[in-house]
Amino acid sequence: MAEELKIVTTLDLKGLVCPIPIVKVNQAIKNVQVGEAIEAFATDPGVLGDIPAWSKTTGNELVKMERVDKNFRFVIRRLK
Amino acid sequence: MTLEAANKELEKKYTKLVGTAASNMCAHCGWCMEACHVYLASHDPAMTPVAKAERIRRVYKKNHDWMSQLFPAWTGAKKLTEEELDKWVTLAYRDCTLCERCVVNCPMGVETPQLIAAARAALVAAGKAPEILTQLADMAISREENAELYKDFFLEQVKEIEKQLQEKLRDPEATIPIDKEGADILYVPLSGLHTILPEAILFNAAHESWTMSMFEASNYGVFLSDSAKSKRIAERIINEAKRLKVKEVVLTECGHAYTTLRWEAPKLFGEPLPFQVRSILEVLDEYVREKRINLDPSKNSEPVTYHDSCNLGRKGGLLEEPRRVINAVAQDFREMIPNRLQSFCCGGGGGLVAVAEWSDARILAGKPKADQIRKTGAKIVVTSCDNCRHQINELNEHYNLGITVTSLSELNVQALVIP
Repeated sequence: MAEELKIVTTLDLKGLVCPIPIVKVNQAIKNVQVGEAIEAFATDPGVLGDIPAWSKTTGNELVKMERVDKNFRFVIRRLK
Repeated sequence: MTLEAANKELEKKYTKLVGTAASNMCAHCGWCMEACHVYLASHDPAMTPVAKAERIRRVYKKNHDWMSQLFPAWTGAKKLTEEELDKWVTLAYRDCTLCERCVVNCPMGVETPQLIAAARAALVAAGKAPEILTQLADMAISREENAELYKDFFLEQVKEIEKQLQEKLRDPEATIPIDKEGADILYVPLSGLHTILPEAILFNAAHESWTMSMFEASNYGVFLSDSAKSKRIAERIINEAKRLKVKEVVLTECGHAYTTLRWEAPKLFGEPLPFQVRSILEVLDEYVREKRINLDPSKNSEPVTYHDSCNLGRKGGLLEEPRRVINAVAQDFREMIPNRLQSFCCGGGGGLVAVAEWSDARILAGKPKADQIRKTGAKIVVTSCDNCRHQINELNEHYNLGITVTSLSELNVQALVIP
């Protein structure tokens, strides 16, 4: 059975452009426990390349990347 | 181990320029004091370029100056210690933005930023560079290696942006081409809509032969002073340009991206690039001079001022191009004093804008720029660098400047006459 995902922080990154969304995601992920997740809502298409690449290089898991209305929603689980 | 790695890297960075800056050439005259925005904002003597340089210079003196080796107490020469290396993190990444204003004001031409960059490289080697700058550099490399993670989603978004483009130009044929082989221009945006849509509007309006890069122009390897990462990040664009056989690469409004690809890349790769590199500033200047787009300056009637990015202006030489363009698209252009080569750094350069924990120091260091802006009475501040734009937006908020910060491309779009 898949482990239940606990989203403990929601970030509003709407209207922000690179590198600020990554700066804020990096700060937020440090404040959750390993295994917990953050979700972020952004509007700038730049995050579509940045957040998957950031998750990969920092060893965190991009659980979901989807479009919700006019926003992009990301769910990232802290892995270490 | 970290100290050994730092010392080894410092020696690797001992080039002619660093060597000259590290020598006894500095006359300690103090002319650089008033040139430095960090000192002007803080009035802390430790923030003068001479004081900052001296902390790195004394380590080089210990290794390279015979007088210092014999009589270190006379010259202040010292070995690098772990404790001092830790202090170099703020010295190199927070207290100097590598703006080079001290260099153009130094009667001896001492290249203090070369010393600071050497210290940054030593910190990278010691694993002490700011985490976020390392992450942003690694992220850029990963974007190429893991393009499959986002490519489809990205292309889908480009199609969405294309709809906005067509609506704006009232032209259903207007496009944002990706991967178009044989185009004249490979345009490299930043990771953001604000550097895609305005340029797409202008390229289409000018009937340009262009294609857009999948990558972003920024290069955090440069801010780190990590040559290997800088090279790897620049290589993504170079390889794409070669594959598409374009005549030139045009970089978006980004200061360090321009100096890196235009001036540093041939040195990094040891050969000239097989294509021309220009900034979008130069392309817009060409459009204005050749009347390739129809512009109406009355559409920008509010007073406008221009902030020279240190990388584009002082280091890159693009001083008159943006001014010619602004005069063609706005009615009331007002210069900040001083400007061009003597322009003050906004305080956010050198990667500092990305390091959240140093934001107080960054906002303080931006005070000379905030004062300059206020004196112009301008309502619109144009800057052609995204780091400057972030910083000036924050200065606006903090110092209540009552301005709107925009790019040259956006100002052009505002003045564009659409048939």
